[in-house]
Amino acid sequence: AEIELTLSHWVPGTHPLQVTGMEPWAESIKQASNGRIEITIYPAQQLGAAADHYDMARDGIVDIGFINPGYQPGRFPILAAAELPFLFENAKAGVAALTEWYKPYSETEMADTYFCMALSHDPGTFHSTSKILVPEDVKGKTVRPANATEARFVNLLGGASVQVSAAESREVLAKGAADMTQSPWESLYIFGVDSIVTHHLDMPLYASINAFIFNKAKLEIMSEEDRQVIYDHCTPEWAEKMSSGWADAEAAGRDKIAADPKHTLWKPNEEQVQMWKDAAAPLTDEWKETIRKAGGDPDEMLNGLIEALKARNSYAGE
Amino acid sequence: MRHILEKFCTGVEIIAGVLLGLCTLLIVVSTAGRYLLSWPVPDAFDISRLLIGACIMWGFASVCYRGGQIAVDIVWELLPRRGKIVLDLFAWAMLFFFTVLLAYQTYFRVASAYRSNEGTFDLRIPVWPMLGLIWLGCAAAVITLLFAFSRVRAGRDLGQHQEPFE
Amino acid sequence: MNSGDLTAILGFLAMFVLMALRVPIGIAMGLVGVFGFASVRGLAPALNLLTTSPFRVVTDFNLTLVPFFVLMGVFATNSGMSRELFRAGNAWLGSFRGGLALATIAACAGFAAICGSSVATAATMTRIAVPEMRAAGYHDGTSTGIVAAGGTLGILIPPSVVMVVYAYLTETDVGQLFIAGIIPGLLATLMYMATVRIAHGKALPAGRRFDPREALDSLKDIWAVGLLFIAVIGVIYLGIATPTEAAAVGAFATMIIGVARRRLDARKILDSLVEALRTSVVLYTVLIGAMLFGYFLAITQSPQKLTALLVAMDLGPYGTLALILVVFFIAGALMDEMAMIVLLLPVVFPVIVKLGFDPVWFGVILVTCCQLGMIAPPVGINVFVINSIAREVKLTTIYRGVAPFIAADIVRLVLLTVFPAIALWLPMTMR
Ligand code: NA
Ligand code: NA
Repeated sequence: AEIELTLSHWVPGTHPLQVTGMEPWAESIKQASNGRIEITIYPAQQLGAAADHYDMARDGIVDIGFINPGYQPGRFPILAAAELPFLFENAKAGVAALTEWYKPYSETEMADTYFCMALSHDPGTFHSTSKILVPEDVKGKTVRPANATEARFVNLLGGASVQVSAAESREVLAKGAADMTQSPWESLYIFGVDSIVTHHLDMPLYASINAFIFNKAKLEIMSEEDRQVIYDHCTPEWAEKMSSGWADAEAAGRDKIAADPKHTLWKPNEEQVQMWKDAAAPLTDEWKETIRKAGGDPDEMLNGLIEALKARNSYAGE
Repeated sequence: MRHILEKFCTGVEIIAGVLLGLCTLLIVVSTAGRYLLSWPVPDAFDISRLLIGACIMWGFASVCYRGGQIAVDIVWELLPRRGKIVLDLFAWAMLFFFTVLLAYQTYFRVASAYRSNEGTFDLRIPVWPMLGLIWLGCAAAVITLLFAFSRVRAGRDLGQHQEPFE
Repeated sequence: MNSGDLTAILGFLAMFVLMALRVPIGIAMGLVGVFGFASVRGLAPALNLLTTSPFRVVTDFNLTLVPFFVLMGVFATNSGMSRELFRAGNAWLGSFRGGLALATIAACAGFAAICGSSVATAATMTRIAVPEMRAAGYHDGTSTGIVAAGGTLGILIPPSVVMVVYAYLTETDVGQLFIAGIIPGLLATLMYMATVRIAHGKALPAGRRFDPREALDSLKDIWAVGLLFIAVIGVIYLGIATPTEAAAVGAFATMIIGVARRRLDARKILDSLVEALRTSVVLYTVLIGAMLFGYFLAITQSPQKLTALLVAMDLGPYGTLALILVVFFIAGALMDEMAMIVLLLPVVFPVIVKLGFDPVWFGVILVTCCQLGMIAPPVGINVFVINSIAREVKLTTIYRGVAPFIAADIVRLVLLTVFPAIALWLPMTMR
C-alpha cells in the first residue's frame, strides 16, 4: 500500500472493539482508497502505555491512537463533560451525538492532533468484592475508577482511587490494591476480573469516553483524495458503527453475570437511585467551575451535548 | 574543585535517599490508614508512584557518577589497561549521549503536563511539579556524568567492581 | 524474511556489539531501541519515545515494590541479621558431618526470606561463612561453591526481584509468583544440603558436639527474621495488603527493629537508603532500555512472527519447552540474568501461553534457569561477586565448587516440569 498507518490501542486484540469495530473500519478505508491506505493494528499496549496514547499519536510514534481522555485528569476538560453521570441512555446513538457535539471543540482542546471520533461503551457501574447498593457502601473503600471524573466521585463518596488502565485492573483487584472497580459488564470477562468482583450495583451509572485521534503531520502528507477517505471515516455514523458491536457485547455481559449464581446483583430502588444522583450532583458543579475558570461557558457546552443527545434519542434525563 | 564536585554528588545522593525514605513513610502511613482506620490517604497511589519516579531518577544521577551499571566485561577483561580505558570512555560516551537525549526529551513531558493542567486523580493536584522533580534528577545526571568523565579518563574506574543486583 | 525481520536482526546485532563494548546493557538496549524505531518510523517519532516511556517506567505502580524489597534486605544486612542466621544454623546443624556447610545453606535460605536478591545473599554470606569454613578445614572450592549456590535461593524464596520483573513484563500476579516460590525454595534448600553430603561425603570435616542450650539461645537472635518473613509473605498470601504495601511496611519494620536493637543509627539508615536506591536504579535502567527495545521489536512485528514460527514447528508443548530451556541455558551461561529475561521473555512468553503452560509455573521455571545461569561458567554473577570478596580464591576453584549444584539445579528443573504442583499447589490455595 502507498500509505501504511499504524493504529495503536491498549485493549486485548480479541476485544469486540477491535474485532467488530476497528477491523471492519480499517477494511472499509482500504476499500474506499482502492487499497492505497492500509492500517496495521497494534493491540494490548505493544507500542506504549494506555495513558500515553494521546502523546504517542501527537508525537508521531503511532499514526492513529485510541485514547481514554479520562486517564489524564484535567487535560481535556470539555470532553470530560461527557463523563458526567446519568447522561447517556445508550451507547450507540449516544456516541454519534457525542462525536457531532465535540468535533468543533476538539479544534481547540485537541488542536495538536486530528480528532476522528468519540466512542463510549454501554453505561458502566460499580463492581465490588462486597455488597454495593448505596453511596455509603463506597466509603473507606479503594476503587479502580473508570476515569478521572469517576475518581472525583469516589473521592466525594469517601473512598480512595487506584487509577490504572482497564488493562491493569485485574492486577490491582487480585492483589487487593483495590476493593472495587468500575466498568461495563462484559469487560469484567474481557479483563478477567469476573471471578474477583462478585457484587454489582445494578444500574447504569456512568459512561467512559474514548476517542480515535490521528497524527496531524501524517494526514497532511496524504493526497487530497486519501485525506477525504479518512474524513469520510471520521463521522458520527462511523462512531455508531464502531461502537455497536462493543455495546452489544457489554450489554450481553450483564445477562451472563445475572445468570451466574456466584454473582449478586444489587438493584437500587427509586429512593436509592436518587441517593446516587444527589451524591453525584457536585460533580457537575465542579466541572462547571473548571470550565468557567478556563474562560468557557459551561452551560452552553452542557446544553449543547444534551440537545445533541436528545436529537438522537439517547439522553438519559427527562 | 574536586571537593565541590564530590559535594554536589553527595548532595544528589542524599536527596535521592531522603526521597526514598519519604516514599516508604507515605506508603506505611497510607497502609495504616487504609487497614487500621479505614481512611485511605487520598492520592497516595499517584503521589507515591511519582515520588518513586523521582527517587529513581535522582538515584540514576548518583549511579552515573559512582558507576555500577550492569555491563558485560568479557571483552574488557581481555584488554590491557589502555584498552580498558578506551572502552570505558566509549561506554561513558554512549551513556552520556543517552542521558542528554533523555533529559532533552523528557523536558517536553513536563512542559506538556504544565500546559495541559494534568492533575492527580483524587484531589487534582497538578502533576507537573512532581514530573519536574523527576526531570531535575535527569538533568542532575547530565551534570554528574560530566564530572565522571575525568575519572573515567584517568582510569580510576578500573579497580571498582560492578554491583549487580539479582 | 522481509525488511522488518532484517531490521530486527540488525538491531539485535547492534545491541550485542554495544554490550560487548561495555556499554551498560540498559543503555545499549535503549539506544538500539530508539534508533531502531527511527529506522522504521523516522527519527522524530523515535526520539519522542524518550519523552513518554522512561517516565512511565519509573513511575509505574507495579515496580514500586522493587526498591522496598531491596531496602528491606539492606536494612537486614546492616543490622547484622545475616550473621545471626548463620550462628543459629550452626547451633542446630553443626553437629552433623559438614555441619558448617549445612548451616551456611540454611542461613542463605533464611536470609533469602527477607532479601530479594541472589547477589546480595551470596555477598553477605561470603563475608560471614567462608572464613569460618576455612578455619574449620573446608576446601575453598567447597565453601565458595556452597555460598554461590546458596545465594541463588535469594531469588527463589520470596521476596524476589527477578519475580517482580517477570510479573511486570508478563502481567502475571506477583503475589501468586512469590507464594509459588516457597515450596520449590524449601526443596532447593534440602537438595543443596543433600548435594553437599553426596558430592563431598567423607571429605567434609566432622561436626562438633550439639549444645541444646546454645541451640535454644540462638533462636532468640533470629526471631526478627522469622517475624518479618511471616508478616510480609503472610500478608501477601492472605491477600490482606498489596505486595507494595507489604514491602514498604516490611522495610520500615526492619528499620525499626534495627533501631530498637541499637544496630542502626541515622547515618546507617541514610547509607542503607542510598545503597538500596542505587541497586534499584541499576534495575530500572535495564527496564527502561528493555521497554524501548521492546517497542522497536513490536514495530518490526518480528516477535509475533517468531511466536507463530515456534508454534508452527510443531514440536509439541514439551519439545518446544525443551528448546526454550536450552536457549535459556546458553543465554544464562553467557550473559547477565536480568538481561536474559528482558531480552528473551517478550519473545518466549507468548509461545508459553499459547502452548497452554501456566504463567506462574513458568515464572518459577525461569527463576530456576536464572539460578543456574548465576553460577554457571563463563559468566556466573554470583561466582564473580564471591571472587571479588574472597580475592584469594581463584575463579576456577569456585567454578569447580559449584559443579555439583548445577547438577542439583537441573534435577530440580526436571522435577518442577514433571510435577508442576510443586510450584502451583500453594498459590492455588490463595483466595
Ligand atoms: Na528472597
Ligand atoms: Na551466567
